[in-house]
Amino acid sequence: MGKTTELLPGTLDMLILKAVSLKPLHGYGVLLRIQQISGDALEIPQGSLYPALYRLEHQELIAAEWGVSDNNRRAKYYTLTGAGRRRLRKETEGWNRLASAITLALNTTPEEV
Amino acid sequence: MLKQIRSFFRVLKSHDDFERGMSEELRFHVDQYMADLIRAGVPPPEAARRARIEFGSLNSTQEECRKARGLQPFDELRRQLRHAGRTLRKTPRFTATALLTLAVCLGANLTIFAVVDSILLRPLPVPAPDRLVTVFNTYPKAGVLRDGSSTTNYYERRGQIPAFSDLAIYSEGAAIVGETGATERVPFMRVSPEFFSMLGANPAMGRSFTDAEMAIPPSRVVILSDSYWRRNFNADPLVLGRQVQVAGVANIVVGVLPPGFRFLSSEARLYFPFASRPEDRVSRERHSGGNSKHIIARLKRGATLAQAQAQIDAQNNTLERDDPKAKMLSDAGFRSVVVPLRADHVASIRPTLLWMQGGALALLLIGAVNLANLLLIRASGRIKELAVRQALGASRWHVVSEVAVETTLLTLTGGFLGLAGGWAGIRLLGTLGAERLPLGADIAFDARLAMVAVVGSVILGIALALPIAWFNLSAHLAGAIQSETRGGTSGRMSQRLRHGFIVAQIAMALVLLEGAGLLGLSLKQAMAVSPGFRPDHVVTGQILLPRNQYPNWPARLAFNERLLAEISRQPGVTAVGAVNNVPLSGNNGKSAATVKGYVRPPGETLRGHYSYGVDGNYFAAMGFSLVEGRFLSADDSQREDRVCVVDEDFARFYWPHARALGQRLFEGSDETKDVDAFTVVGVVGAVKQAGLTDDAAQGAIYYPYALRTDDSLFVVLRTSLPPESVGPALQTIVRQTGRDATTTDVRSMETRISDSLITRRAPALLAILFSAIALLLTAIGTYGILSYAVAQRRREIGVRMALGARPQQIRGQFLALGLRLLAAGTMLGVAGAWVTGRAMRNLLFHVPPFHVATLAGTACIIGLVSLVACLVPAHQAARISPTEALADE
Repeated sequence: MGKTTELLPGTLDMLILKAVSLKPLHGYGVLLRIQQISGDALEIPQGSLYPALYRLEHQELIAAEWGVSDNNRRAKYYTLTGAGRRRLRKETEGWNRLASAITLALNTTPEEV
Repeated sequence: MLKQIRSFFRVLKSHDDFERGMSEELRFHVDQYMADLIRAGVPPPEAARRARIEFGSLNSTQEECRKARGLQPFDELRRQLRHAGRTLRKTPRFTATALLTLAVCLGANLTIFAVVDSILLRPLPVPAPDRLVTVFNTYPKAGVLRDGSSTTNYYERRGQIPAFSDLAIYSEGAAIVGETGATERVPFMRVSPEFFSMLGANPAMGRSFTDAEMAIPPSRVVILSDSYWRRNFNADPLVLGRQVQVAGVANIVVGVLPPGFRFLSSEARLYFPFASRPEDRVSRERHSGGNSKHIIARLKRGATLAQAQAQIDAQNNTLERDDPKAKMLSDAGFRSVVVPLRADHVASIRPTLLWMQGGALALLLIGAVNLANLLLIRASGRIKELAVRQALGASRWHVVSEVAVETTLLTLTGGFLGLAGGWAGIRLLGTLGAERLPLGADIAFDARLAMVAVVGSVILGIALALPIAWFNLSAHLAGAIQSETRGGTSGRMSQRLRHGFIVAQIAMALVLLEGAGLLGLSLKQAMAVSPGFRPDHVVTGQILLPRNQYPNWPARLAFNERLLAEISRQPGVTAVGAVNNVPLSGNNGKSAATVKGYVRPPGETLRGHYSYGVDGNYFAAMGFSLVEGRFLSADDSQREDRVCVVDEDFARFYWPHARALGQRLFEGSDETKDVDAFTVVGVVGAVKQAGLTDDAAQGAIYYPYALRTDDSLFVVLRTSLPPESVGPALQTIVRQTGRDATTTDVRSMETRISDSLITRRAPALLAILFSAIALLLTAIGTYGILSYAVAQRRREIGVRMALGARPQQIRGQFLALGLRLLAAGTMLGVAGAWVTGRAMRNLLFHVPPFHVATLAGTACIIGLVSLVACLVPAHQAARISPTEALADE
């Protein structure tokens, strides 16, 4: 595992929604997928994943269904709901705006002022 | 928000599924991770260890997950309930005492509340019941407080009072119904056409009456109650047009009322039009109500009682302007009063019921104080455990909610037991005659009562939690942990609270006992009142004669003569007579009489007098005393000259200095032709007419039965046999003597007297029961507190005794504590009893509100009981063995 970064507060929900939006996943799968799509750069404390999943399910942004895993065990699979999809789009836009604004601000040189 | 709630309930429904699923999911995660680690070359034991460590605490994750699903409060509650249940089971003696106290106290309250609710609170089952009023005529200065309304009043007011949207008149009675040989007595009402629509009870089938049916000759139509229709017509859907034989005359059924219709306390099952002749509706008849006809009205939306009253007053004034008796009426204080229907119907019983509820609440308070004390003692015992838990991070909220959950669990369980108690209590009230109270037939054990029980229990539980929570939170925790003794320094504060509770408890028990004493004494005084006649061995019964068999007055008189002769031949009968109405029947009306030659002094008004028609040997049968002259006899009905008998109150009022015998008087408010005058031939002792506690000396006149136009009939017989054995024989004789004649309401005079005291007896008995329980609870409470004080100071006592204190000193110390509490409680209680006695003086009869003897007796009883309750623990304290006490800890 290379160099990892701590998550910014409030970004875990967004990452879960993104991970689940690609393909229905069980909890462990969500963890792996986030690591994978972030290029192993993000470290997620394993224990904090589940309260977030339950919170999102409670808010009906994701839906859960019991299924069978690759190694034939019962596992709970999460999918994105319509509301979740809308939320993800909004959060993504919001994040992009914020990130580009901060990037812009941080890259400012003395000449540009 | 809605989503969260939905999710919460979904999860609530399948709580166990959720827990299982969560465990399985987390286990799956850990297993998968471990498998991945093994695949990456980590040895299995190490992989398992790392997987667990990296996942973190499974418990706290689960807790977080529950919180995330909005489940946390629910889980917390479940946990606390389980905990509370366990703690309560661990102290079975405490729990049993608490539950028994709660069951008794809540049961008493629920019983009384069921009565209060059905009689005072629950809205009448009609639309907009608070706009229903009744109007009645009153002539207070003539001694007639209530005279109903007249037919004239109805016709003059109908449609003329803008504040009323509807106005109806009704009267009640009973008729002999059915084919000859198979008749029954059926209560009925005569009502005007708007009666049913005004009460929101338009016939479920058929129609209401029409204005045309209000005329005489009567149109022979009848409306059935739902129960009559079901019972007597088998719920025949084609009943309209069929006939009901009323007094031998066919009446056509024109309507059937909706099920469940009942007007106030009426038992009517048949309804006839309120028919009258044109001459009944003229101004001369305006004041002929006689308390048998009643007007009810509905206020228009937005109209007030005051407006209606003002309009009625204004109309009365206008009408009186050309009334020749206007002066007399205003002298009599005549007024037509508009009052809310329901409040008026239950006015007589309202204060008694409220006082009963007050007494029950005081009982509950006493019980609650006991519980609070027991709980406080328990809390003191647990202070160390609590301190440790708080030190380990239990929040203040947690401490409070845990106490509240425990007390509420206790009170809720007690509430359910109390419901069982209430169920039994309502049955007990039934045997005391509660259904004879106005609206008393509606007293029921129902869902409403159960809801009140649950809500009340929860409130009580929270109230009980308050002092305990306060104690828990304000205890000095550090001190409690370090302190060698069990309570530490927090002891003094809770001790003061406990002692305050005991003082309050003694005071309340004293007030309750004093109240019960006053009520009991009033009952005793009322029972000791001589009715003025000799009620022993007297049997009475009301007789109803069908009009078709006895169409006219002579036929009725002939029946009387035959019946009285027949009864007098029966074994054991020493005297028999007949009368319109027996004393204490509850509806003894007064009417006016004019004494020849009597000039009313200025300011004095015409008086109403109890008036009766008597036949046969009535006075001897009832056991009247003769003051002078003679009784009336059956022959007086046939004499040429009219004679009458008056009572001593009447004689004293009109002829204080002259002989009553030979004086002449006229029925009614006018002096008419001399031939109509009645000559007084006898003066009898005054008897109680309206009730044993009625002290007004209103005066009574007894006319020969034949010369009164009142055809209601009671037969009265004096027998040497036990009165109970005579009733059936009386009914048989009446049946044999008169065709289709029925006898109802057969009771001995003693029973009537005793029944007339029901609104005194039942409350007095209940109050005595309540105060006995209160006394017991107080004794338990005082004993509990003192023995706790002894137990708490065991070590101290041990040390003092080891240092040479004598047992008497120890005993004296605890006794002194008990006496101090007792003295404070008694003082407070006497003050409370004074206030309460004054407030309830309307319920008292010949007993002063501050009755020193009762109060002294009450204080003695409380003192004695408390003293015994103190002596036992004080004695225990004196017997503590120093070696054992010191070895204990």
